[in-house]
Amino acid sequence: MIKIFQRLKKRVDVPLLAITFSIISLGLITLSGSNLDSSNIIINQVVNIFIGLIIFTFLVFTNPRILFVYAPVLFLLALFLLTLVHFFGVESNGAKRWLAFGVINLQPSELMKITLPLMIAWLYQQYQNKISLGLHFTAIFIISIPVYLVLLQPDLGTSIMIALSGFLIIFLAGISWRLIISSIFITILSSPLIWVNLHAYQKNRIINMLDPFVDPLGAGYHTIQSMIAIGSGGGFGKGWGEGSQTNLNFLPEAYTDFIFAVYSEEFGFFGVVIIFVLFLLLIYRIFILASSMQSTFSRLLTVSLGVSIFSAIFVNIAMVSGLVPIVGLPLPFMSYGGTSMVVSLASIGIIMSLNNHKTLIAN
Amino acid sequence: MDNYRFKYIFKKRIQILFGFLILLLFIPLLKIFYLQVIQFDRFTALSKNNSIKIIPISPKRGVIYDRNNVILADNKLVHSLEIGHSFFSDLSEIRARLKNKLGIDIDIDIDITNKKISYLYENTVPISFNLTNQEIASFVAHQYLFPKLSIKQRFIRDYPQGKSSAHLIGFINRINDNDINFLEKENLTNQYLGSTHIGKSGTEKFYENLIHGTPGFKEIEVDAKQNVIRTLQEKRPVPGKAINLTIDYRLQKIAEKAFGKKKGALVAIDPKNSEVLAYVSQPTFNPGLFTNGISHKAWSGLNEKHSRAMLDRVVTGLYPPGSTLKPFVALAALTNDIRKPPFSIFDRGYYKMPRSSKVFRDWKRGGHGNVDIIQAIAVSCDTFFYGLGLELGIPKLNEVLDDFGFGKKTEIDINGEKSGLIANKAWKKKKFNESWYAGETAITAIGQGFTLVTPLQLANATAKLANPSLSIKPHLLLSIDGIKQDKQEGKEKKQSYSDKNLRWIKEGMVNVTNEGGTAAFLGKKSNYQMASKTGTAQLFGLKIDEKYNEDTLPDNLKDHALFITYAPAINPEIVIAVIVENGGHGGSVAGPIAKEVLDAYLKNKKL
Repeated sequence: MIKIFQRLKKRVDVPLLAITFSIISLGLITLSGSNLDSSNIIINQVVNIFIGLIIFTFLVFTNPRILFVYAPVLFLLALFLLTLVHFFGVESNGAKRWLAFGVINLQPSELMKITLPLMIAWLYQQYQNKISLGLHFTAIFIISIPVYLVLLQPDLGTSIMIALSGFLIIFLAGISWRLIISSIFITILSSPLIWVNLHAYQKNRIINMLDPFVDPLGAGYHTIQSMIAIGSGGGFGKGWGEGSQTNLNFLPEAYTDFIFAVYSEEFGFFGVVIIFVLFLLLIYRIFILASSMQSTFSRLLTVSLGVSIFSAIFVNIAMVSGLVPIVGLPLPFMSYGGTSMVVSLASIGIIMSLNNHKTLIAN
Repeated sequence: MDNYRFKYIFKKRIQILFGFLILLLFIPLLKIFYLQVIQFDRFTALSKNNSIKIIPISPKRGVIYDRNNVILADNKLVHSLEIGHSFFSDLSEIRARLKNKLGIDIDIDIDITNKKISYLYENTVPISFNLTNQEIASFVAHQYLFPKLSIKQRFIRDYPQGKSSAHLIGFINRINDNDINFLEKENLTNQYLGSTHIGKSGTEKFYENLIHGTPGFKEIEVDAKQNVIRTLQEKRPVPGKAINLTIDYRLQKIAEKAFGKKKGALVAIDPKNSEVLAYVSQPTFNPGLFTNGISHKAWSGLNEKHSRAMLDRVVTGLYPPGSTLKPFVALAALTNDIRKPPFSIFDRGYYKMPRSSKVFRDWKRGGHGNVDIIQAIAVSCDTFFYGLGLELGIPKLNEVLDDFGFGKKTEIDINGEKSGLIANKAWKKKKFNESWYAGETAITAIGQGFTLVTPLQLANATAKLANPSLSIKPHLLLSIDGIKQDKQEGKEKKQSYSDKNLRWIKEGMVNVTNEGGTAAFLGKKSNYQMASKTGTAQLFGLKIDEKYNEDTLPDNLKDHALFITYAPAINPEIVIAVIVENGGHGGSVAGPIAKEVLDAYLKNKKL
């Protein structure tokens, strides 16, 4: 056991781990301020962290070459499942997003969020000496297939996230600015067309985002209560465990998706600045590690993982502060819940593993 | 592309990306800054609005006592059936179901859905106070059927004297549109948070601001499901002030009993300080009927045309004073050096107007013979006063009547007082566009004609006769929370009538109950001396050869009987004015009522 720790110590990046634990601790502190059966919540969350750390440790010791080798296979598998959704998916609320395997429900679009960057990074690693316009267009074509399939479900949010995770890698691989700017231009021009083709519920979400007070007891209720929680926190907050919005249940989903609102209510703008600095340090450290890596695949995958953590943080905070519509998305490292914690810690584990095996992937 | 170049591009791009992410993160940071720093006050208010509710606690109404601490209006604890604040619109449905399922009848019309009023209410509003114990038990057993209703304990107004003194005490009722408009105008709505009732008449209305009290508050914290978490702070309501009225309830009761089924009013005043000792208007009503909203049937009964039980006859009943005006007319004459003793006339039973064929009859056929002004008061000689009136003239007469408070409000502490009427030339021109006839002067001098007085005015004027130096206006408030109140001076200038003239008037009034006077029978039974005047106000003009026949005349056209008196004649202790509607002759009908009150009041006094 001690041996494992000693070996682990050599292989982990201490600054990144320290930042990660700081964020996790702030999450735990926020959770423990709850007056509702908080002991259970804390114990469960500690268990979640523990499971996350086991997987983290396992990944740190795993050779990331497997990821590289199996990237195309994993991508194709995800693509296959995504196609299956179209035919055999479980329909709910007019959308087919899930595959049911007995008791296990699988959402292949979520798998695609991970496997697509893997695939594109693999592509640029494989053909890094022949990078051309053609290669970029090949990448764009590969991206467009899952994006289109997810759009069909329909799931606009996820398909945008998948597209962004793919385009990010093309951007980092050095696609020319002229292409980037012209494609942004085209997107803006076509936005009215997109609006027309949106579903009613998607339009509602966007309208609600623009003015949540239009429907204070309906769709806007969550957003309003969350904004009240944040706003009433003020400069230095109401104090730990003193958030009335939280403890009197005005804030829904207080400890899962809306934990940031709880944190803001209790620790104020001062606390918000601290957590923002921690989030930036986290991304900064990941990027520093990425730029020191030797292989293209490692670099691209590391940045991709970092950005996916960042986008989850960004979307969650934007949602909680009323900037974007409510989507069920937890805040990495802070929200109460096992899946989010395990996935986030696993991402950090993979990054550290890539960092340890700088030269393991042959150029 | 070689790995080195690739890495170089990557490093540049990753810097751009990081810069972009920082910028991106600034968007929510700015939004949060806006929410937490710039809009802090707004969101703090919204947050408190979510979790902190302020529940008003209505104050207990002040008790109303008579001068000897007999309770006239009190509060009693009852079980009230209450409806939740958010279910007002379901009231009619709930009411129907209560009747169907439990046979509980809520026969009231309350407009609790009125937005302007309902913001005053606490979380529940009473819809019935008068459930029987059985009904309460039955409701409690079936409460699960009525989740929007609950039983609470509340203080409601109680009038232990029942129908007695209802006009004086007044009543309270639900706050309605008019009340809320008034409260808003006076900026008093905060005083009524949590209140459902307000004084509507009598003392309950006039002293509403004293009796009502100041509401308290309970600041509570609630969770999202409106469960009460804790009480943050509580301010006890300040109960309304207890007031003592100048009324002697014992006299009140005796007067009411003496009236029996007769209609009319009695006012007793202490001539030393204008304290109103009795304030009786008959018939009367049960003020408790209004506390829970009165049923239509009971309401129309109270407003029945002939009885008009709701009418406060003391201050709003307007009556011709009849002969009770004569002492004042006589004083006006003497003050103007007209018909001073030993001047006398020989009365043949009628008065013929000079330079005219018009004849006015005396009430006594055949006349009173030789009468001076003292005798004219004692026997109520109309003939004497017809001529006197014409000699004096309306302006000089009205000057004195005005001095005694006729034709204007006494400003007693009761709402709705009427000013009565002292007619003159200008008034008649304006009202009927007709000129004034000399004959009208003659009948005005015997208290007929246009003159109208309230029983209170009559008593007030008599008090000024009994105590010429009296300058305090009649009032009902004796003390607040046991602290005596200053007497308020009336507007009238101090009177300056000569003692000699006043003595002649008094002599005439004392003789009313002496041998030969119009109420001699009252004096026979009396162990003290009283100064009085009888009056009989005609509502029905008799033709010259027609005989007044009480038996054939419909009740509502029969004469009003009036009686004014003060006693003892020397150093008077009490003044009384009585009017019995359609009672007939003043001395025989109104006199005995006054006498009973006098006897009761003076019995315990050392004379």
